Amino acid sequence: MRTKIAILAAMAALAIGVGAVGSDKLVVYTYDSFVSWGPAKAIQTEFKAQTGCDVEFVTAGGAKATLSRLLAEREAGGTQADVFMAEMNEVPRVQTYDLFMPLSEADVPNLATVPPVLRFDPSGALVPYEYGDITLTYDSQALTPDELPGSLDALTDPAYKGKIICEDPRTSSTGFSFLLWTIAHFGEDGYIPFWRKLSPNLLVITQGWSEAWSLMTHGEAPIMVSFATDTAYQAASGDPLRYRAFAPGGEGYRTVYGVGVVKDTAHPQLAKAFVNLLLSRKIQELLPTTEAMLPANDTAALPSAYRTYTVRPTHPEALPLDLVARKMAVWLSAWERAITTP
Amino acid sequence: MRRSAAVLLLVAPLGFLALVFYEPLFLVLRTGLTQAGRFSLSAVRALIADPYYRHVIGFTLEQAALSTALSLAIGFPGAYLLTRYTFPGRRAIRSLTVVPFVLPAITVALGFILFFGNNGHLNRFLMLVFGLGHPPLRILYSLSGIVLAHAFYNAPIVTRIVNAAWEGLDPAIDEAAVTLGAGRVRRFLGITLPRLAPAVLSSAALVFIFTFLSFPIVLSLGGARYATIEVGIYTLTRTLLDYRLGSALILLETVLSLGLAYLYLQAEGRRAVRLRQERKIRPIPFFAGGPSLGRVLLGAYVLLAGVFFLGPLASILADSFRGAAGATLDHYAQLASLAYSPFLGSSPLRTVANSLIIGCGATLIALPVGAAVAVFSVRSRLLGRRIVEAVLMAPLAVSSVAVGFALLRGFAGPPLRLSGTLVAIVLAHAVLIYPFAVRALRPALEGLDPALVEAARSLGVSRVRAFFEVEVPLLRRGILVAAVFSFALSMGEMSATIMLARPGLTTIPLAVYGLLSARQFGAASAMAVVLIAVTGIAFLAIDRLGRGRGGLEW
Repeated sequence: MRTKIAILAAMAALAIGVGAVGSDKLVVYTYDSFVSWGPAKAIQTEFKAQTGCDVEFVTAGGAKATLSRLLAEREAGGTQADVFMAEMNEVPRVQTYDLFMPLSEADVPNLATVPPVLRFDPSGALVPYEYGDITLTYDSQALTPDELPGSLDALTDPAYKGKIICEDPRTSSTGFSFLLWTIAHFGEDGYIPFWRKLSPNLLVITQGWSEAWSLMTHGEAPIMVSFATDTAYQAASGDPLRYRAFAPGGEGYRTVYGVGVVKDTAHPQLAKAFVNLLLSRKIQELLPTTEAMLPANDTAALPSAYRTYTVRPTHPEALPLDLVARKMAVWLSAWERAITTP
Repeated sequence: MRRSAAVLLLVAPLGFLALVFYEPLFLVLRTGLTQAGRFSLSAVRALIADPYYRHVIGFTLEQAALSTALSLAIGFPGAYLLTRYTFPGRRAIRSLTVVPFVLPAITVALGFILFFGNNGHLNRFLMLVFGLGHPPLRILYSLSGIVLAHAFYNAPIVTRIVNAAWEGLDPAIDEAAVTLGAGRVRRFLGITLPRLAPAVLSSAALVFIFTFLSFPIVLSLGGARYATIEVGIYTLTRTLLDYRLGSALILLETVLSLGLAYLYLQAEGRRAVRLRQERKIRPIPFFAGGPSLGRVLLGAYVLLAGVFFLGPLASILADSFRGAAGATLDHYAQLASLAYSPFLGSSPLRTVANSLIIGCGATLIALPVGAAVAVFSVRSRLLGRRIVEAVLMAPLAVSSVAVGFALLRGFAGPPLRLSGTLVAIVLAHAVLIYPFAVRALRPALEGLDPALVEAARSLGVSRVRAFFEVEVPLLRRGILVAAVFSFALSMGEMSATIMLARPGLTTIPLAVYGLLSARQFGAASAMAVVLIAVTGIAFLAIDRLGRGRGGLEW
């Protein structure tokens, strides 16, 4: 037995030795789906070809978790991150902490291809690289188009009791966008009464989008909060179009993702080159099929499935980011209390 | 034990813990106790005054109590069955009882939804058999969903701990009672149960603490209307970035769970029974002899427990073969490849290897640290040792959200600038799991007769040699239980790993999450099956290793 323990110990020691890390590369903190599905691999290859430098993508889960990690590391004495990618509603937090250097077209020439409507951060700390709309998606085998809610208000109809899945705004950026959508639609006085009425119709509030999608595709509920590109995504993958995005009352909530360069990075030029590459047409055209998001670069061509099937809300809702920054804590606390107390 | 020896015994584990755990945790908590740079309880007071947080604390205690009760109700008969009877596959079943414990919450949630869900296998089966138009069982997405999933995780802990203690009971007292004419029920209540009480309490306390700190299960299976303290901590520290109130809530949670740990240590200390293991309970064959009421009831229990535990696991297995057009092996083919997978950030084989290496490394550190603390707690007569013990349980009793933060800080700066390395993950796991090793080793140590060591010493054997030649063989059962739990915890650990990992350092639970977030649902199920298989084999191997020498069954 003791020899066996010795062997195990030797194995562990060997593994520990192998685990040592090198240093000279660009470290990008991002969210998990960007690494796993996204164009991460293509970016690594292209960046290496252009600059001779390796890119390492690090993720701590979703965008929120990764930002938490960045903040905690900075507080503890320094982060290895050179570049950070996040959803725009994180901007309030980012600005509070003064994490990123402002970027202009002089730093990132490809920024010129991004239309002004997407430039959500006037300070330039986060540069937009992709966007999409949060809408609803339904299971076309469980509901007919006539049975769909025609507006957000209609979601509270008792006919949908236990039939809706949404994501938790505290843990999921999709869920947070949906909460903002309801605030934009019903106003600061109206969204809490709406959620109280919606509550019986919610089967479950999941931690993240993946769980919600998994529940819907296993037949637990026919409606979920998801993306306007859902139908297009299935079409592009050659799947049957069973789950279809729809915009109730032509509404949806716009979400933009941004990239920033960490202020005390040792590689500012490489980091800017990375941002420029991310905004290049070549990489931007990969975003729809890998991330199910739309390119911020308006010269990038969309795949035909996305041109055909992407739902375009006719009345997109949006809230000014500085208002979100000021009220985020109040809104979330009020929501939390409303949903978890009778 | 001499005072100096007791102090010495504590230096190594305490130094290690102080460096990677307590100091960073203190920094996290300090925020909750200061205002404008000075000590202040105002944040804690604000929390307690708020009816919302009072409601949250009340609910957290309520669901933990219900979950513990159900875990005991399901786990205790299992321990009885494993102790009293032999039947084919008994040893394998005992080894495998811990498997549910290692599964990532998201996998358990998925297994539950697939099996118990409104459109799950169980409901569809019942609708088919009874010709129903609607699913008859609506047990998920409510408090019952939370409690059931907690029991799925924790009942096996009860079974394992109580079974280990039960097998250590000397049957002589029971037999004496038989000769005095005591009936079965009376013997059980008057003799067996009191002697099992430390183990039952010990497992109940662990289950209570685990379910008290539960987070993902509450969100996934609780529907829309529940919040625990841990959910509150997540909201405050990760989303609202209100570190002051967040730290205060962490502090409150820690005090509550450490208080529970302290109460339980007190109770356990008073009840400790010295067990001189001259003889063991001899199990009898389950299938021999005629059917009695007891056997029929146990048979019914096995059937129900089988459905409860195997249903969700089998559903995950079935899901891993589910393709867009019928059954498929595609998901496994995807995992069997040795090539780099972008979904994992590593190759599948490397991922499995990482998990095993980290599990072994963490267990090898946790065992000696745990042993030192256990020896201290059993042998020391130091004043206030129970308080020291309770504090040493902290990694188990502190919010995982806070621990993730503390460990990240602990490894991000000097003197241990290890963030992102395998060493950091091994050390983090060791810190998180060693309290388990303590808990598993303690009862075994208490049952050890110090006279044996003294006898060896009087024959001129050194203390060290006496430890390895006398105590370690006698403690084999406890060491094995400690190793199994340590390894299991490491295999399933998520919240600290994800904060410390770097690309290429993927573990199996991280891979399950990675695959899910990439919409690879079938492959995520397949990876969960790999986790079940790998840990199952590891547990069988640990049990086999432990039976190597000597006549002892373990």
